[in-house]
Amino acid sequence: MAMAEQDIALEIRSLHKDFGGIKAVDGCSLAFPRGQISGLIGPNGSGKTTTFNLLTGLFVPDSGEILYNGENLAGLKPYQIFNRGITRTFQITRIYREMTVFENMLSVTPLIVSERRARERANELMEFVNLTPLRDEYGGNLSYGQQKLLEFARALMTDPELILLDEPAAGVNRTLLADLLERIHEIQRLGKTVVIIEHDMNVIMNHCEKIFVMDYGVKIAEGPAHEIQRNEQVIEAYFGHR
Amino acid sequence: MTRNEHLRNVAYMGGLLLFLSLLPFLTGVYYRSFVMFTMMWVVLALSWNIISGYTGYISFGHVLFYGVGSYVTGILVVDYGWHWLSTLAVCGAMGVAVSFVVGYPVLRLKGPYFAIAMLGAAEGMRVLVTVWDSLTHGGLGIIFPNVENSMETYFAMLVLMFCTIGVSYWVGHSRFGVRLNAIREDELAAEALGINTTRYKLAAFALSAFFPAIAGAIQANKTLYIDPDTEFFILVTITMKLMAMFGGKGTVVGPVVGAIGLYVVQEFVWVQFPFLHLLMFGIFLILVARFMPRGLVGLFIARGWARKGMVH
Repeated sequence: MAMAEQDIALEIRSLHKDFGGIKAVDGCSLAFPRGQISGLIGPNGSGKTTTFNLLTGLFVPDSGEILYNGENLAGLKPYQIFNRGITRTFQITRIYREMTVFENMLSVTPLIVSERRARERANELMEFVNLTPLRDEYGGNLSYGQQKLLEFARALMTDPELILLDEPAAGVNRTLLADLLERIHEIQRLGKTVVIIEHDMNVIMNHCEKIFVMDYGVKIAEGPAHEIQRNEQVIEAYFGHR
Repeated sequence: MTRNEHLRNVAYMGGLLLFLSLLPFLTGVYYRSFVMFTMMWVVLALSWNIISGYTGYISFGHVLFYGVGSYVTGILVVDYGWHWLSTLAVCGAMGVAVSFVVGYPVLRLKGPYFAIAMLGAAEGMRVLVTVWDSLTHGGLGIIFPNVENSMETYFAMLVLMFCTIGVSYWVGHSRFGVRLNAIREDELAAEALGINTTRYKLAAFALSAFFPAIAGAIQANKTLYIDPDTEFFILVTITMKLMAMFGGKGTVVGPVVGAIGLYVVQEFVWVQFPFLHLLMFGIFLILVARFMPRGLVGLFIARGWARKGMVH
């Protein structure tokens, strides 16, 4: 069992979050395996994004634990959680529109890191997602797909351990998406843990080693793609009673 | 920005410093005072710009710090017999202290709520200073001992202006400034991407309070008379805001150019129309906000004459 526990990057235990009586997350427990790409799916309103917001401190859970490297993150501020190595992107991109691509990148590095290293890292990552030609362009002038790439690259600035991607494929054209998925696999090969929320089932089924399914704020299934596709509860959640 | 560009800018500033150091010896009291007040507006516009231009918290009550500075020096000089120069550090410190007391609650508000809260803070301080007779001499104001100090106040303001430009230049070309910009653009994302926004906002607010407090103090020692209604006059806030916006908020050059340009116009053109003056000022503010929200620097960027962004 000790071995199995070591393989978990982040674990949620019976997490609860109410919004004025609406139980957005209702006793959800999940454990994301270290060094893998996991998928988090579920119908609209099932609590996926709320879970991400709880994990990153944007919401404070009503109860439950978020265990990461032996520490409970529940109640920490977003920047404190970020500084422990967890970063994210947003469902609707939240790049800094009136800052250049380079400034978007640079803003993430804490001031204790030297200017030179911060700049090197920013340049490397812009190269990584092919945004170097747009280095001095305002973020708001980028196409939506490019903004998704920028947000992804920006989330990697501090070399995080755990990357949470909220619908990375939404609004991205096929070519760019293939590119983005390739980059996600590259960082996974570097030993990083990735969790993807996505409605595009091709992305989820073909790229995630383990898939978690949520409905009404709880986990209703978990497992590899072929199991999830045949799971009765999952089919019911998406398509209703047979 | 390359090392050479920084060196070039430092050289420009050195030249300007030399010119402004010689200028008062070549002119009389009137022009010396005129340049002194121009420098004061540069300080005020640049300071407003740190919290409102970079961080995006539009302050409608920045006269608060200016007034606090002028009253601290007034009380210390007139009631306690301090030399006015030695009060300046206390004035700056008081400005920062007030910025923490006011900023801690008020910087939690966003957009128009912050603007109105700052307006209220400045007005509240004006009322407090008016009614607190025993400390502030109330509505009668404070009359300083009469003295011709146009040379001393000129050089005090000169030093203050170059300190303000230096700090603004650092903010405008550092990751600290970039991170303030991130708060302006999307505070929630900034917080989620590692920025302790409360701490950054308070730091920016303290910087933007420090210099106006000293500017207010120097000005008080030049004018030699202060009262609550002039030291906490909302038009002071609006003027520094307009100067920064006209030049280009969120830049270093913008507020400097805006302050010099508008103050010169105000002094030589608008005072010819004593009654229309305020009306013209108001119309100008609306036109700037409507047609060039990014100011002169923004126009340059749009034309491709200046680079986008503050760090390259």
